[in-house]
Amino acid sequence: MTKKQMLGLGLGLVGFLVPWVVDLPGLNFTGQVTLGIFLMAACFWVLEPVPIYTTSLLVIFLEVLLLSAEGPLYTMSRPPTVQPAAATDVPGVWLPGATLKSERFVLIERAGTAPQQLEVEILERQGDQIRVRQANLSTNELVWTKPDHWQATYRPSSYRTFFGALADPIIILFLGGCLLADASVKYRLDRALTRLFLKPVGERPAMIVLGLLLATAVLSAFMSNTATTAMMMTVILPILARMPEGDPARIAVVLAIPVGANIGGIATPIGTPPNAIALAALQKAGIHIPFGTWVMMALPLVLITLVLCWVLLVRLFPANAKAVKLDLEGRFDRSSKALVLYGVFGLTALLWFTEQQHGISSNIVAFLPVVALPMLGVVGKKEIHALPWDVFWLMAGGISLGTAIRDTGLAQWMVGSVNWATLGTFAILAGLAFFSYFLANFLSHTVTVTLLAPIAITLGASGQAGSGFSLATALVTIAVASSYGMTLPISTPPNAIAMGTGVLETRHLVKAGGLIGGLGMILVLLCARYYWPLFVH
Amino acid sequence: MSNIYILCVEDEPEVLEAVIRDLAPFERVFPIESASTVNEARRVVAECILPKGKLGLVICDHILPGEDGVSFLVELQQDSRTVAARKVLLTAHAGLEATVEAVNLASLNHYIAKPWTQEDLLNVTRRQLTDFVLEQETNLYPFLTILEADRLTEKIRQAPLPSDE
Repeated sequence: MTKKQMLGLGLGLVGFLVPWVVDLPGLNFTGQVTLGIFLMAACFWVLEPVPIYTTSLLVIFLEVLLLSAEGPLYTMSRPPTVQPAAATDVPGVWLPGATLKSERFVLIERAGTAPQQLEVEILERQGDQIRVRQANLSTNELVWTKPDHWQATYRPSSYRTFFGALADPIIILFLGGCLLADASVKYRLDRALTRLFLKPVGERPAMIVLGLLLATAVLSAFMSNTATTAMMMTVILPILARMPEGDPARIAVVLAIPVGANIGGIATPIGTPPNAIALAALQKAGIHIPFGTWVMMALPLVLITLVLCWVLLVRLFPANAKAVKLDLEGRFDRSSKALVLYGVFGLTALLWFTEQQHGISSNIVAFLPVVALPMLGVVGKKEIHALPWDVFWLMAGGISLGTAIRDTGLAQWMVGSVNWATLGTFAILAGLAFFSYFLANFLSHTVTVTLLAPIAITLGASGQAGSGFSLATALVTIAVASSYGMTLPISTPPNAIAMGTGVLETRHLVKAGGLIGGLGMILVLLCARYYWPLFVH
Repeated sequence: MSNIYILCVEDEPEVLEAVIRDLAPFERVFPIESASTVNEARRVVAECILPKGKLGLVICDHILPGEDGVSFLVELQQDSRTVAARKVLLTAHAGLEATVEAVNLASLNHYIAKPWTQEDLLNVTRRQLTDFVLEQETNLYPFLTILEADRLTEKIRQAPLPSDE
């Protein structure tokens, strides 16, 4: 275990325990418990003493244990209750004085939910007993003798809510996307498409870089960025052998792949997990962005960025070679199963893009390939087992943590401690974008968005950010900005793969990634200010 | 990434020079070391190769002054640090007995008869080194430009990906 990991483990445990010991003013007990889980998860996700997806699973487990109605913390610390005693010859019932809340109310036990509060009229006091009048208070009811118990104001969620994050509709959307991508890899549709895209670019190195950027971006809009990068590397590295050693264009060619993959991921909801996390958070807040709308919002940004990347890469790493021959092999598989795959893929994509016309949510459409591909024998158990379950679980932990932060009032409390109104709506948006970009350079992009989404949700819901603040714009901004975090080899797995080829040095990546990120931030903010508000409010 | 070395053992200087010249296309990724006797080869492996990396491929003559080449290959096969190295015999006069010993006790991977052609030597080297990295390395991308890209690609596509995006 490295020092960094030990630090992460220590800080995480301290973060988890502090809210149990220190009483934070204005935050209720369950909010404090959630804060503990949040602090621990943040330390674990940032410093990685354990793999990040296992942190997600731990988050779900702790939520079930500590926050759910079925969890041991809730069931074992139920407050004591007493039955009212009937008064003889006089009106009302007798209760211990301790049951009184604010001298006017008592709390009646209601199984599985928060207690019912009843206003009572005090008729008589005798020692620590009181006689009260309340029409609905019979001697069969159970009255809380500790009305200031932490459970008095807390309505716990069922453990189904927390476990349910593992099958959140957004996870299903991703499941569908991943299965389509895996099937495409199995039947080499990805390679065949790459060949199709690269055919028209000719032999000039600059055009090849453009072709690679576009091909990678298109594929990574539907496949995981990492899988796209891995596939494209196997396509381009043998080509690289034909370029003279020491030609800077070799660097441009290799860099085009991770850059294209990272940027291409922005284009669709299934392009990369951060998009899905943002959409899941929005759905919980009652805002649904259809698949096609997301693409309309993201596509101009993606295209402009890709053109800028192309200019940058070609300028930074100009080619010495006049021409490089691309002879790519890879034909479209015409077996019957491959044809079924093309059909299912086409139908799913069509339904995704026409969501606004037929009104069937893209999350539901995503289940079509999940049902059809295994049923028709296009994929088997092997592909099902090979799905990226760790990614699904990582996302689920984030979704479930977001729910807990909102439901326990923690988000409200966190946001309330800053005076946002003085900042201005656009400044808040810009702040979120830069913070997301900054974190994404060091953390997993999914984790970045997971940590920032609840803050944005609460800002929007609390109205603290001003009336011009659009929740949807804010979350799209956070998700998109995170995809630009690609300065360092550790920023994203595509970067790590590109570095692993041995063709690049870190400084190449830092130079290109940093410039693209900086330009990207300007573009993102322009979109957030002038373009995205045309689609979402 | 630690270096993967090619070791050539040959006692005639002109022949050694020719082998190294023929293998030049690999030199950029796979540094080449040479020795003219088994004793020297042993020292090169212990002092130059193992401290800085792994032995990936040995191309060895059989008839050498002092100990013969096959016994050196057998010795490499018995050492856990060099057992994975691919072993090629490049010789004109290895008798049946020595060849059988090389196959049975040194797991000889290939036999090239002198005189050889450069094309043949390059192909054998490429195939043997591809086998070596497929078996020994986790990051295969650096070898895609120089070894058998098809087989490496197949392995990359089947391997699980890092997926914490």
